[in-house]
Amino acid sequence: MRTVRRALIGAGVLGMTYAVIGALTDPDVKGGALLFLIGVLIAHDAILLPLVIGVGALIGRFVPLRRHALIRAALLITLAVTIVAVPLVLGRGRAADNPSLLPLNYGRGLLEIYGLIWVSTALAAAVRARKERPARAPAPP
Amino acid sequence: MVRDLAAGLAGLARRGHSWLNTPLPPPPATLRRGPLRRGAFESRLRSPRLTSLLGSALAVAFTVCFVTGLISHFIQHPPSWFAWPSRPVNLYRVTQGVHVATGLALVPLLGAKLWSVYPRLFGWPPVRNLAHMIERASIAALVAAALFQLISGILNIARWYTPMPFFFTAGHYWSAWLAIGALLTHIGVKLPIIRTALTRPTPDRVTDGGLSRRGLLGAAGVAAGVITLTTAGQTVAPLAPVSVLAPRRPRSGPQNVPVNKTAGAAGVRNALFDPAYRLTVPGPARRVRLGLTDLAALPQHTVVLPISCVEGWSSTGTWTGVRLRDLVVLAGADPDDAEAYVESLEARGRYRATTVPPAHVRDPYTLIALRLGGEPLHPDHGYPARLIAPNRPGVLQTKWVSRITVRSNS
Repeated sequence: MRTVRRALIGAGVLGMTYAVIGALTDPDVKGGALLFLIGVLIAHDAILLPLVIGVGALIGRFVPLRRHALIRAALLITLAVTIVAVPLVLGRGRAADNPSLLPLNYGRGLLEIYGLIWVSTALAAAVRARKERPARAPAPP
Repeated sequence: MVRDLAAGLAGLARRGHSWLNTPLPPPPATLRRGPLRRGAFESRLRSPRLTSLLGSALAVAFTVCFVTGLISHFIQHPPSWFAWPSRPVNLYRVTQGVHVATGLALVPLLGAKLWSVYPRLFGWPPVRNLAHMIERASIAALVAAALFQLISGILNIARWYTPMPFFFTAGHYWSAWLAIGALLTHIGVKLPIIRTALTRPTPDRVTDGGLSRRGLLGAAGVAAGVITLTTAGQTVAPLAPVSVLAPRRPRSGPQNVPVNKTAGAAGVRNALFDPAYRLTVPGPARRVRLGLTDLAALPQHTVVLPISCVEGWSSTGTWTGVRLRDLVVLAGADPDDAEAYVESLEARGRYRATTVPPAHVRDPYTLIALRLGGEPLHPDHGYPARLIAPNRPGVLQTKWVSRITVRSNS
């Protein structure tokens, strides 16, 4: 295992060195790429993830315990789809003379996906509630 | 002498090793606040096993993206040892479709993985020694490069370049090397933990009602599936009706084929309707100049070939025109061993010219197309003449062709 580890670490360091030298010598990259690299790291670690964990804590406080898993799973799927969809919904890449570019109404598409996710979640919650009923008395709201 | 040198180097390595591992003074404990406190993160869902399972999936997916991306890069900037075949005609369509689809499906997996290790960002003390500091820096590089790849890729397929203060292709390429290098190093560093976590059964410690490990992995998988189904219709045409987030529709656009760069954007609107248009074909034996009627008088061939864009979309068209190899013969070169440099009417632009390698010149499917779907090419599809070759990225299928320089390969 020691040899494998050393080989992996060595190859990885070579790859990273190649990336740094390549980026520094490529006139198309410029400092902007470094800025973007740091920017996405901060946006994720200092903004997005604390928000996600905060929402998770709110669910812990306000949602009945039996529904935690379902709501968290549905929120995870909602968030992942949103990240992919936002640039499409904003549509900044559209060009007046090229209707084949971003041809759909992505806002409506995203709402349809949200609907699908949350209707399925509600159905799953209903099915579970039904299964749980004979086992124990209906939970107070 | 050699022995002295070896002993000296060994001593240096020993000293370097101990220097890297010398404990650094711990920061004052009063700074240990907020997320740095012990037990600040309460979820019991996090475990080395969860992280290792997500990490394994990520390693496979990143490798797929890296290899398919490298193929695309090499086709566009071929090193001397690299040759890309002209068949199967749909190979690039598949590799690049897989590249984009895998990258998009990675979004929930990377998100879940980073969530699972987030408390480690606030480990105490922040750095134990220099070796620990280097390891943490390499993790920062890995996380940043992984996010860079996914976010820049998503912005690129949505054609939104303002948030990216660099040329996308170049940034995405070098960041890919950073990501794959940092990933290999990371796996090397963590290998003992990964091995234990994947071989030793770990019970789910989540209490009744909470999201279990299986639940989280399932949700990430469903999210990846939803993203794939709602976007992959940009290249898998039967999925188009459910792909409500597809950046392209394979059948939308003039003559039922999408367009990346319009004639207006390329600044060729006036030049392409010029009655003085001639396709110039300089070759080793002679220089041929062909007007539109001359081109139409040459033997016409029809092929069904895809436009396969680097952005992951593709669309099949029925193209009619003159075989490139016939033009090569006219210019006096051997069509089985020639290279063609194809230039557009565009005055400038990164993709105004391309080299067609011998394998594609030789291929009878490679056309200088004059028609699409039976009609003369739409201006946005390259009227009066465009290159269409099998198994090539769309950016190398030069439109508005004005000049083809034929060179003998040998």
